[in-house]
Amino acid sequence: MPETRADNVLMQKVRDGDLAKMAVLFERHHRPLYRYFLRLTGNREFSEDLVQDVYFRMMKYRHTYRDGHPFTSWMYQVARNAHVDSAQKRKGETPFEEQPEPASAAPDPSEILLRRQDVGLLRRALAALPVEKREVLVLARFQNLKYDQIADILACDVGSVKVRVYRAIKALSRIFFELAGEKAS
Amino acid sequence: MTCEQVKEHIADYLAGILGRPEVEELDDHLARCAACKQEIAALSETWEMLGLLEPEPLAIQPSAQLRSRFYESLEAYRQGMEAAAPAPARRRFFDWSAGWASSPAFRLAWSAALLIVGVGVGRWLGGSAGLQDEVHQMRQLVTLSLLQQQSASERLRGVDYSNRVDQSDTQVLAALLHAVNHDSNVNVRLAAVDALRKFSGNPAVLGSLDQSLRKQDSPMVQLALIDFMVDTRDKSAVPSLAALERSPATDKNVKEKATWGLSQLQ
Repeated sequence: MPETRADNVLMQKVRDGDLAKMAVLFERHHRPLYRYFLRLTGNREFSEDLVQDVYFRMMKYRHTYRDGHPFTSWMYQVARNAHVDSAQKRKGETPFEEQPEPASAAPDPSEILLRRQDVGLLRRALAALPVEKREVLVLARFQNLKYDQIADILACDVGSVKVRVYRAIKALSRIFFELAGEKAS
Repeated sequence: MTCEQVKEHIADYLAGILGRPEVEELDDHLARCAACKQEIAALSETWEMLGLLEPEPLAIQPSAQLRSRFYESLEAYRQGMEAAAPAPARRRFFDWSAGWASSPAFRLAWSAALLIVGVGVGRWLGGSAGLQDEVHQMRQLVTLSLLQQQSASERLRGVDYSNRVDQSDTQVLAALLHAVNHDSNVNVRLAAVDALRKFSGNPAVLGSLDQSLRKQDSPMVQLALIDFMVDTRDKSAVPSLAALERSPATDKNVKEKATWGLSQLQ
């Protein structure tokens, strides 16, 4: 059974009262979900709280899961709501913090240095992006979701997702090159 | 391909899913349009650089506490569901009626009847019941979420918030009992004992606290539990109090309190 289909079946069982199956879904999905929140909030502690909240909400609102609906899409829908609610509670705070450096295999030290500078600027650019633009980029670029899956999560059509991706990457690019220009000047 | 169409295809192009004919049309356009060529180069560079932000999976793991918190909340939720399960006598009725109740005609008639009753009740209540239910659910969600937090002060807030929840709420009751028995922080346990007073009419509370009295390692929590049992005139606590009074391992203050409790209940 393909993994996505297996997830759907597990969630149906959870909905029908077999809560223990939620543990399997937790083991399969909590890491990507954590990375999703970390990309959105930049804060490890908030991200863990949000993952916890998502699983709690999925248990509480399990009866709203419909047969055949891809579990991953449903989970990200719940995740988006959890993030929106928590962002409203933490209004005014600036949660972004430094995230781990990527492990680089590049042998050239000058290239490593250049990349580190880029990575730092790109993080700042991503943090400066409005949350709805950051969200669509995180879903498309880091969560490896297809545009039709993102459309399902965002409750819009595929064409709108592509437009949003275009606008988001354009905005990110503009901020990044502005920051790079400031640094260079 | 026009400049406008290029913009429409950029998301597919970046994701590497643009079809071959479209890629060729795009290349043709870029050969003629410097503005689009510049834009797509900048966006591709940014898109590629985003890959640098994706560290090795091992470098971006949640802490081990996330897992333990999840399993604790799953267990608390299951206990809450079990506590809320229907009584056996009612089950027998449903077993008996299961044969005809499962027929499509009965289900249709039952649904229609429920709809009519629902509409009638809804009109009668003027919609306020739905809102009350929503408020209750929200309070329940806040309480249960706070009780699962890592920080003791947040869990204390959860205990405090439980006062706003209806006393028939079995999930909150289960979470409070769980806090009394398992919370690592004595203050949270003490606050949970106090919060359980509004649930004292529930026989499950008395039975559970009786067991808790024997298991507690904190004399302060034991004192609070004895007060609770005396205040609720819980005579079923007498054997536990007697056992505490006899045990050489019991704290001196708890022993005295147990003696006092026995004199009050007997």
